[in-house]
Amino acid sequence: MEAIAVQNLHKTFRVSHERTSSLKALALSFRRARYEDVHALNGVSFSVDAGETVAVVGKNGSGKSTLLGVMSKVYRPTSGKVVMNGRVSGLLELGAGFHPDLTGIENVYLDGSILGLSRREIRKRFDEIVSFAEIEQFIDAPLRTYSSGMVMRLGFSVAVQVDPDILLVDEVLAVGDEGFQQKCYGKVREFQRLGKTIVFVSHDLKAVRDVATRAIWLDSGDIRADSDVGTVLAAYLSYSVGEGNNSVAP
Amino acid sequence: MLKDFAEVVRYRELLLNLVIRDLKVRYKSSVLGFFWSLTNPLLQVATITIVFKFIMKLTIPNYSAYVLCAFLPWTFFQMSVLDSATSVLFHGHMVKKTYFPREILPASIVLSNLVHFILALGIFFIYLLILGTPILITWLLLPLIIFIQLLLNMGVAFFVSCLNVFYNDIKYVATVVLSLLFYLTPIIYLAEQIVYSGRVPAAYKPLVIGIYTVNPLSFLITAYRKLLLPGYNAAGIHDIPLNYWYLALAAATSLLIFLAGYAFFNSRKWYFAEQV
Repeated sequence: MEAIAVQNLHKTFRVSHERTSSLKALALSFRRARYEDVHALNGVSFSVDAGETVAVVGKNGSGKSTLLGVMSKVYRPTSGKVVMNGRVSGLLELGAGFHPDLTGIENVYLDGSILGLSRREIRKRFDEIVSFAEIEQFIDAPLRTYSSGMVMRLGFSVAVQVDPDILLVDEVLAVGDEGFQQKCYGKVREFQRLGKTIVFVSHDLKAVRDVATRAIWLDSGDIRADSDVGTVLAAYLSYSVGEGNNSVAP
Repeated sequence: MLKDFAEVVRYRELLLNLVIRDLKVRYKSSVLGFFWSLTNPLLQVATITIVFKFIMKLTIPNYSAYVLCAFLPWTFFQMSVLDSATSVLFHGHMVKKTYFPREILPASIVLSNLVHFILALGIFFIYLLILGTPILITWLLLPLIIFIQLLLNMGVAFFVSCLNVFYNDIKYVATVVLSLLFYLTPIIYLAEQIVYSGRVPAAYKPLVIGIYTVNPLSFLITAYRKLLLPGYNAAGIHDIPLNYWYLALAAATSLLIFLAGYAFFNSRKWYFAEQV
């Protein structure tokens, strides 16, 4: 069964060269064009079957995050279509709803409801969230007293409680220390066993090799390759090395 | 628009949690909590009362109650507009990274101000008991007026919060307009004074009454006074009973502002993520 269908997707951003938009800018805008159109996606098409784990790779600015943003409905496509069959959960950032003055407990409820969990669902899974994040003794302290690692762990623990059919993940798996990362990947494998569809963006090519069943290489808003992981990564790596791009270490 | 509203209903838990968060953050960081945020209107009203009673020699009994009765819904309106102006920008990280109905952001601000308003009304009723003003049957209509004002506040909040995403100085415009509106709305004076005051030159009277008539807040705030407090009869000012037709007009205007504000917000809300 097809879980995701992306058809001829275009996304164009209008980037302002002014630092802030204001009424003054509006009043003056007839004098000269102060916008530039940036084409983040140029007609991307692909489909994902239910149960697949697809990694999206590409250098910075290739449109990976935009693609995930459109798929999770944060952005509207400029043209083209995205069809998602099932409950979608987009993890574009961990703890997007966290507030520093609230306690860990309060933040778990707030962040959970942003991800679409009801209070009852969160209450039921609360102990699991806290023990997975390994912050039992600090859960009633304000979030501003947490270390950044603790915030990330708590964010991840809430996020994985969402029970979606389709999971969209943007570079958030690499949080915490080695031990916690192992737990994160364990969680991903559990999702795979349950037959969930996963699309994730990552620069960590080792993780891509370990987890993904298929890879898509995006370059300047176009799909350069869409095949099994080995083939795509080989092409992507030889291209990157050829370009002298050191940012993608294997 | 109905589809958008259904989505809000689906995300009602998020709305509730944001309201709770807003109230918690507001009351948590200070020891006096809720009473701290009441001191501002109380001090204002005390000052206004002293000015009117002793300096301008207004002879209406319990004038402070009439001022406070208008000042509390005014504060509800003002804070709803000012707080919601920056609501989308303030939650920019959420808007950029997660999907949820965007109208929840200004709506949660208005609703948490509603909770605050209702708590303040509780204090107001205690004040009435201390003053010994009569208990009126018209108190029962209070929820209706509050609901009408909620629609008005939401509508304006939708306009202001949406516009402020695209034009950063809307919040300054709102501040200026609100400070003018404070004097154009019968808050520190009574609605009857507009009609009966011999001090307004005849040439300006149609303009003054016109401004009063197009401003739904005027009718609403006057309605709060008429429903919660007894009539007044003092030198030169004769109490005019509440005209329910004007109240209906204010209700219709408020509903219209709400629908227009929501439609305006909806037409632009999915471009917020690109802008914040």
